[in-house]
Amino acid sequence: MPNKKILIVEDDSFLQGLMSKKLMAEGFEISIALTGTDAVKLLDGGLIPDLIILDILLPGMAGLEFLANLRAREALKTTPVIIFSNFSDEKDIQKAKELGVTEYMIKANFTLDELSAKLKTLIK
Amino acid sequence: MAHDDLIKENQKLKEVVALKSNLISMTAHDLRTGAVAQKWILKMLLDRDAGVINEEQETLLKKAYESNERSIEMISEFLAANQSEDATLSFKFEKADALALMESVISDLTPAAKKQGIKIIYAAPKNKIPELKIDQPKIRIVLQNLIDNAIKYSERGGQVQITINSDAKFVEFSVKDSGIGIRDEDKDKIFTKFFRTENAKKKREVGTGLGLPIIKLFVEKHGGKVWFSSEGVGRGSTFYFTLPL
Repeated sequence: MPNKKILIVEDDSFLQGLMSKKLMAEGFEISIALTGTDAVKLLDGGLIPDLIILDILLPGMAGLEFLANLRAREALKTTPVIIFSNFSDEKDIQKAKELGVTEYMIKANFTLDELSAKLKTLIK
Repeated sequence: MAHDDLIKENQKLKEVVALKSNLISMTAHDLRTGAVAQKWILKMLLDRDAGVINEEQETLLKKAYESNERSIEMISEFLAANQSEDATLSFKFEKADALALMESVISDLTPAAKKQGIKIIYAAPKNKIPELKIDQPKIRIVLQNLIDNAIKYSERGGQVQITINSDAKFVEFSVKDSGIGIRDEDKDKIFTKFFRTENAKKKREVGTGLGLPIIKLFVEKHGGKVWFSSEGVGRGSTFYFTLPL
């Protein structure tokens, strides 16, 4: 079975590096975008990820704006999206749900192996 | 002081409070980001993702991991209290489906309960719950705090029972846990700002003592009441609140 493709949209390069290392070791194929705008470019370039891990606070195009952009694309309407953020503001959570996020996870509450396990349940 | 001057002073004070709150929020988020990096690295080291470690190193890493978890918990409590305090500044009452709100909060907190080995028991009400005019984000905070407390202060294998009912005047919510309970001598202080009972401190070092006072404030601003019962230490507690129709 080919490796599942994960797109990580995360502007903190240190956290992003840790996530990539762990998830690659678990057998996922990783693409990275440091901003929402970079992520849009990857999608425009034909990337069809099996799942997207998305931060909320990003320079330029914010995470929720990217999520709206993503859901407007026919091919990505149902792609699982995990918002993985350090922000737990109720308004953000509600807005993300309205925009069709699959899971909203607070980074501080999860280890990377728990994140990996969540990915596996969402893209069996 | 003239009425106009009072309004201006009030506005200035609100701006200062908002500025302070933003500063607290930004600092706490930055602290939490640093703590997240440490959490992930320590767990990777403990899982031998970066190679073999000896027994002594494992013990030390476990201690560092646990200490970091306490820091994260403290920062998260602090952030939640800050958000709730912000929310005390204004209220916006709109029609809302209280049952759907409660079910959504239960669904959000179920993973945390499972992680701690706590079973959430909820039976949908037999009668139809009428629509309420409430400030929905604030009642969400009330429900979240009550259910979250019930989970945090229960032992693994315990349970949290949640109900919602209505009569001609009120909708009543209850959250019953099988946790640490409340001593008689603490009962009149439980809704006091910053107060934490000794057995609560024993169970969890971290806590702001702001959760219950904020719940009381929010419920009373809606014209409702909040109260509790407990048969004593180790015998659980039940918290109730009402919202008027």
